[in-house]
Amino acid sequence: MTGSKRMELVCPAGTPSTLRAAVEAGADAVYCGFRDETNARNFPGLNFSAQELAEGVRFAHDRGTKVLVAINTFARVGDVDIWRNAADTAVKCGADAIIAGDIAVLDHVARNHKDDIRLHLSVQAAAATPEAIRFYAQTFGVRRVVIPRVLSVPEITALNKNIDVETEAFVFGGLCVMVEGRCYLSSYATGKSPNLNGVCSPPEAVTYDEDKAGMAARLSGFTIDRYAPGEPTGYPTLCKGRFNAGGKTSYLFEEPVSLNAGSLIEGLKKAGVTALKIEGRQRGKGYVSEVVRAFRRAVDAVEEGGDAVEIDRILAGQSEGGRQTAGAYRKVWR
Amino acid sequence: MEARLPAFVRHLSPAFAGLPLGPALTRSLRALARRRPGLFDRLGEFAAERFFIDPVDLGFAFVVVPDGARATVRATGKDAGGDCSVVIRGPILTLLALLDGTQDGDALFFNRVISISGRTEAVLALRNAIEDAELTPADLIGLSGALGRLADAGILGGLDMARRFAAAASAPEMAERRS
Repeated sequence: MTGSKRMELVCPAGTPSTLRAAVEAGADAVYCGFRDETNARNFPGLNFSAQELAEGVRFAHDRGTKVLVAINTFARVGDVDIWRNAADTAVKCGADAIIAGDIAVLDHVARNHKDDIRLHLSVQAAAATPEAIRFYAQTFGVRRVVIPRVLSVPEITALNKNIDVETEAFVFGGLCVMVEGRCYLSSYATGKSPNLNGVCSPPEAVTYDEDKAGMAARLSGFTIDRYAPGEPTGYPTLCKGRFNAGGKTSYLFEEPVSLNAGSLIEGLKKAGVTALKIEGRQRGKGYVSEVVRAFRRAVDAVEEGGDAVEIDRILAGQSEGGRQTAGAYRKVWR
Repeated sequence: MEARLPAFVRHLSPAFAGLPLGPALTRSLRALARRRPGLFDRLGEFAAERFFIDPVDLGFAFVVVPDGARATVRATGKDAGGDCSVVIRGPILTLLALLDGTQDGDALFFNRVISISGRTEAVLALRNAIEDAELTPADLIGLSGALGRLADAGILGGLDMARRFAAAASAPEMAERRS
């Protein structure tokens, strides 16, 4: 699908206070999840109860912002009702869309709530071809696809010319290097996976051990990285760990970089992308406010014909600190 | 970001551990739980954990069990963290900034301003609960309305001034550590 509408800015909210912060910072839509295993950010203390979601929806709608609910993990045999109930609750709370990847969840929403709520296909479904996307659109009435972070801008352009649903592209935040929804590293180390339990590197498996040589970040006893005294640390995810192999120490799978496709907003618009997504439901409201505010200004500038220099200037503050990449949008990866 | 209290405050502070700081903070936390029970729900199973909070620039520490209406706070010595499931260490003004939301806990930890050991999932639950609570000094001391707003302005202004003072006073010490 290609079109000339203004692009929508879709922002993360891990808690009600972050939802309010994202709305006030200029989000067109906020995405969030329930406080259970039905969403892929199932961390302690994070997420929404049904009542909090209903209140959040009211707050957002009063200010013209949509709320999308991620029910995007894969249902377990025998326990599918947990996921079906989550979808029913999202509808009751007045949410605007459900983001799902599991066929059982998509089927439930399509059969029972077709006219009540939109269906967005989660990135977890890893639908990256016109054929796959058409299947989800025709079978379940999916209206939008969150596109996997493995496609370049020309590939997204080609994709959009061959499908009749909206596309949503990640532009900022944590970057998963695996084919979306098919990571086994966390499962191997911890017995839990992002796709089934909603946690990559579950915190109960994470330890930070400090000694005179510095700090070791471990996951289920595996040392993922070591940091010298005073050196900034990170959360231990296996794909971004520093390991000894072949006689040298390096980031074997991926450098610990974050995605920043701010400079590609105009290109993504030309490619026919409907919505831009910021990752980070696990991040604090200070971070969310700052990033959403910057991207709001950048998206508005692009929509008003601003040039690349202006966009870079607006987003300059977002590139300080951690290292960043344009990811697969510009294919220069190892 | 890392402002420590001047050394003379550190030398004086052990005397305060004997004062009824613990009972006062316990009453304050339980009163907060009665006013805003939802705030503690977010901690889930981790509400009953023992958190050892060690302000590195004070001569004493706290053991906190944030269990809603059964919450307790005990002022204690620096070596009392052995039976706690979580230890959080950092300068007192930074730890207070976490409570009032002035600073981001992730950034402070990843930049090594505060240190954490023990059950990471309990720390995460506490961080998310505090983050969502949007606590103000008035919440903690049980004031509302105009009086609450006055207390917030006064205490937050005072803390801001204290941070500036401490940052200026500790600048030479920090520079020496980095060299």
